[in-house]
Amino acid sequence: MKLLAERLNDRLEQERRRSLNDGEISNLSISLTHTPASDPEVEELVTMANRWQANPHLQADPDFALQLERYLLVRHAALRLKQPESRRFFPRLWHIHPALGVALGFCLLLLLGTGMFVAAAQVSSPDNPLYAVKRWEQGVQVSFAHSPESRADLDLQFARDRLSTLASLANPAHAEEYRQALADFAQHMSNASNSIGAVPAGPDHDRLSSELATLKATARRTLRSYLSRLALAERLGTTDVLGQMGDTVPRLLGVEMVVSLHPNEQATISIAGVNIQPGAQLLVNEQATGVHGSFQNGVYVFTTNWNGNQHALSIGILNPDGTAAQTTAITMKSSNGNGNGDNGNGNTEGKPGLTPTPHPDPTPRPHPGPTLPPHPDPTPPPHP
Amino acid sequence: MRAISHLLDQARRGEAEALSALYRQFLPGVFGYIAARVPDRATSEDLTSEVFLKMVEGIGRLKATDEAAFAAWLLQIARITVAAYYRKREHLPTLVSLEPEGWEEAALGNGEALVHVYLGMDPAQIVETQDEWHSVVNAINALTEEQRQVLVGRMIWGYDVATVARMIGKKANAVKALQFRALQSLQRLLRQQGFSSEAFFSQTRHRGGKP
Repeated sequence: MKLLAERLNDRLEQERRRSLNDGEISNLSISLTHTPASDPEVEELVTMANRWQANPHLQADPDFALQLERYLLVRHAALRLKQPESRRFFPRLWHIHPALGVALGFCLLLLLGTGMFVAAAQVSSPDNPLYAVKRWEQGVQVSFAHSPESRADLDLQFARDRLSTLASLANPAHAEEYRQALADFAQHMSNASNSIGAVPAGPDHDRLSSELATLKATARRTLRSYLSRLALAERLGTTDVLGQMGDTVPRLLGVEMVVSLHPNEQATISIAGVNIQPGAQLLVNEQATGVHGSFQNGVYVFTTNWNGNQHALSIGILNPDGTAAQTTAITMKSSNGNGNGDNGNGNTEGKPGLTPTPHPDPTPRPHPGPTLPPHPDPTPPPHP
Repeated sequence: MRAISHLLDQARRGEAEALSALYRQFLPGVFGYIAARVPDRATSEDLTSEVFLKMVEGIGRLKATDEAAFAAWLLQIARITVAAYYRKREHLPTLVSLEPEGWEEAALGNGEALVHVYLGMDPAQIVETQDEWHSVVNAINALTEEQRQVLVGRMIWGYDVATVARMIGKKANAVKALQFRALQSLQRLLRQQGFSSEAFFSQTRHRGGKP
């Protein structure tokens, strides 16, 4: 014997199916009058249920229904107008790409969700422990930029930021931090230049190129003004970056060194290069010697006292305007002209061939490796 | 007819046609639920409007993907709306309105919405019907929320037991038991109020303009 609840449900279900077949719920009560009252208790409840269901108080008035529908559509249209495009886009994006939404949310959390990033964003000095976080954060920002224009904009912004940071670091006490910030500046400028190259010709390309040119001009003025405050190592690096910014800076093409032991221990150093200014001072092993040279037959010739046990690891020049350049590619020659010297770089053959060695600057850049001509050309090669 | 999940997707994307289709399909249940809980038609219409306005405003954020979940969401809004209506009434002093009551409007020809209910009835019958309906509302309000939702799902929307079970988050057997207890309680409460349910419903149906 079924429970009363089961029997009631069976009867209601029977009526529901019949009404669905008939297409009108209202026929339920009529059909009930033809149902044999085999289960009076159930039939009474079913009758009450169906009469309650068909009660006109529970039916919405058709005019009201129509008016409400119109009002809802007007309200819906008004809401759509008020809703910003981004709010309409993101739920759709979420719906289509839940994984993308999760990834974006996670990255946003990483970038924006913690106080560390906020604090790091305020940091400007490389000696601050959060500076590495700031660099990473900026790297992520650039890599998430959706177009070359955005990437270029970001790199230009970060380069400006680094250039202004250098002002407080341009002194021997902050040499390391200065080198770091200078390297970051050069990197952002290089990235910006590459991104601009990928922007199609048009207004955006022109705007970004103009901004890059302006920033380069500013950098040339700014970095030059720092030269006098820097130690020699930072001057060398700054000169290299100035060259990247399109400034006129010295560049060494080759160095030949002749050491004579008799009658005095002396070295004659011939330097081929460009933009070496009159009055340039000789650098040996990154130390200023106070020795000034003269321009002879297209090369600068310096003569200085030389200790026989002394090794020249690097030779360079320091221009009167503060720019400096050096090289470790040195050809050693004895006073009789035969190459039997040793510059410490394994170049013991005495041959005129030079092995290019990068400058010890923050952005290593291989120098061209010209061979010092045995008979130097009196006219220096043009600036590239 | 388009599947509800498809309609919901379109409505979430802001398509007005889908919104209309959902409204037309779910209006009877929402209106029936509210009308069974408040004493007059004007209030039922006001509260129904509130519910569907909330639907329009909130459907973009709705995660429901099937009919039962959507119906449950609408009934939840309706339940909150009715509860807010009764909360407000508790704080209001009882006023005797100078405006005509529903049956008076109908008799005067101003309440077109009610004309079909009271068509062919004399004023005494209208008052009697109003009082009887108040008793039914009181009886429905005395049921539990789950019992009310089962009645709406089964009797007005015409869902099967399995759909109602998903709608209220219960098992099928629990729905059958709730359905039985709801109708039994309704019968008992109406009898306590002094009239036979059968007589009441047969009388109303006999007088009702809308079959």
